[in-house]
Amino acid sequence: MSQLFQEAIIVSILAATVRIVTPLLFSALGELITQRAGIWNMGVEGTMLTGAFAAYLAATATGSLWLAVLAAVLAGALMGAVIAFMTSLMRVDHFIAGLGLNLLAGGLTLYWFQSYIQGRAQPTFSGFQNVAIPLLSDIPLLGPVLFSQRALTYVALLAVPAVWFLLYRTRYGLELRCLGENPKALDVKGLSVTARQFAAVMLGSAMTGLGGGFLMLGFSDRFLADFTAGRGWIVVVALIAGNWRPRGVLIAVTAFAFLESLATHLQVIGAQVPHQLLLALPYLASIALLMGLRFRTGQPARLGVPYARE
Amino acid sequence: MIRFEPRVESDALWTAASFAMAIAAGLAASAILLASTGADVLQVFSALLQGAVGSPKAVATTLVKATPIILTGLATVIAFRAQLWSIGQEGQVFAGAMGGYLGAQVLAGLPPLLFFPGVLAFGMAAGIALGWLAAVLKNRFGVNEIISTVMLNYLVVYLLSWLLQGGPWGESGGTISYHQSPMLPNEAFLPGMFGSSRLHAGVLLPFLAAAICALVMSRTPLGYEIRGLGYNPEALRHKGVNINRTVTIIMLASGALAALAGAIELFGVAHRLRADNLIGLGYAGIIVGMIGGLRPLGTVFAGLFFGGLASGAVYMRVLGDVPAALVPAMQGITLFFFLCAGVVARYRIVRVAVQ
Repeated sequence: MSQLFQEAIIVSILAATVRIVTPLLFSALGELITQRAGIWNMGVEGTMLTGAFAAYLAATATGSLWLAVLAAVLAGALMGAVIAFMTSLMRVDHFIAGLGLNLLAGGLTLYWFQSYIQGRAQPTFSGFQNVAIPLLSDIPLLGPVLFSQRALTYVALLAVPAVWFLLYRTRYGLELRCLGENPKALDVKGLSVTARQFAAVMLGSAMTGLGGGFLMLGFSDRFLADFTAGRGWIVVVALIAGNWRPRGVLIAVTAFAFLESLATHLQVIGAQVPHQLLLALPYLASIALLMGLRFRTGQPARLGVPYARE
Repeated sequence: MIRFEPRVESDALWTAASFAMAIAAGLAASAILLASTGADVLQVFSALLQGAVGSPKAVATTLVKATPIILTGLATVIAFRAQLWSIGQEGQVFAGAMGGYLGAQVLAGLPPLLFFPGVLAFGMAAGIALGWLAAVLKNRFGVNEIISTVMLNYLVVYLLSWLLQGGPWGESGGTISYHQSPMLPNEAFLPGMFGSSRLHAGVLLPFLAAAICALVMSRTPLGYEIRGLGYNPEALRHKGVNINRTVTIIMLASGALAALAGAIELFGVAHRLRADNLIGLGYAGIIVGMIGGLRPLGTVFAGLFFGGLASGAVYMRVLGDVPAALVPAMQGITLFFFLCAGVVARYRIVRVAVQ
């Protein structure tokens, strides 16, 4: 293999990693906000799926990709409202509520999708293209990897410090983290735990929905059954692996994205490995990762425990 | 102002009323969903009913459709009652079909009385192996069982995909790969009953399994441990119960039940190994088990209800143009209202005077 070819492959793998990490990053940051507020939301998969479907509907119906982004965000927020209603208000077990949401979202999106395309060829759209940042994109290696990406990828990367700032440097973030660590402290101050959890879960799920929306608008031109293919669960694993911290979560999702990118490139290079094994890599890695992470200290103390006033 | 107050004792009438409201709300929401896509709601509902119980053939289809989801529902009941949120049923169904298919090759030529129990045991063994993996991951490595079972589900699905496409079990016609195995020989079809080839003998097994589950849950030390694990694991530990052992037994039994569903689907319905028949049976079982109140008898009724829905949907598709995904959509909707009803049943609504 020539030197030039090797370099091109490496750049391609890294650039694809950054592209693939975008939806995971949006969704993981959203789930980070949700979980720091004490809600163990297992409905990430369903929320991403709904965001992706809403984006598909809006993109094919209106032809506007930015309206599609908005649709994904709103759909995510709506799913967040359902989760908050069930967990914070009705006090359904958090795991059960999330599983229920996934099953509900899977059934509903598939039904609407089938009725949407019934009796006609499936409508498609053309998704986001790369937006090269002037000057920066000319830097060798770094330029094509980091600065010649979809516009929303830049937003996702900037969202990491933004979420960190929100959580650790604002009053809102302090209250939000308090929801997960010690909701009683808020309650005795006369601040509503339920209202704050609703707001946090809707904000977080809006970002999770945006992740699903980007998966649609940045990678595909059409919706399919099980479109998100387990990425929502990868996000949940990334949160645990990232110890519920923005930077840790960024590292974890990047590792998953790198694996996926590597798998696609191995196929392109023509490695003699069954492609199913390559597709299975992120799931194998998740299990291996969780086996090694027995004791994590960053988990919010009251995560998944419904708050009830004594 | 009104407030929710937990009930000290459950009130049977109030519980029944809240679940009746959940069914009504689920049907109403399904009607709205149908109307939202321009379908004739009354026509769809009457077609569903006709297709579920309207003729002997419809009833047979209902039973056949209910069989796997009652079994995966029972698998859910055992695990969830112990607050083990295993959702490995989906992958275990696949494993059961794969194990059964392997068994059919190993045991080919045996008389039916040995062959069928043998191949079903092969299938269940595969599900048990998966359940054991999840149990080890939880006990030894502290991996959350929801996440590990989801990951295992994807791994099993990819394994089947490889076996059928590129691997040793695929049926290849020239250059095309069909993503399915060749047909099983006729003698490997589960025998039919009442002169119907559709109504295979496997439909009896979920009822047997439900009876055994009910007995074990209510009348044995193991059942006590399962319920105790969900209710108060700390007290159970102080009694000297080995929690890890109980977790392992639950995961093995749950895996065996779900895998049995996959094996029956292979030998009774599909007669060849392919993913289409198996997708969603495990997830449907989670819904069925939860709507059945995590009780074996309730699960049988919920399974029959959704089996009828699935059978009705087959009939409905012949008539009109309502999408097949109506079934999972209605399942999800009904589950949602049942979860809410389960909470409502535990609380009293109290009026509080505002100062």
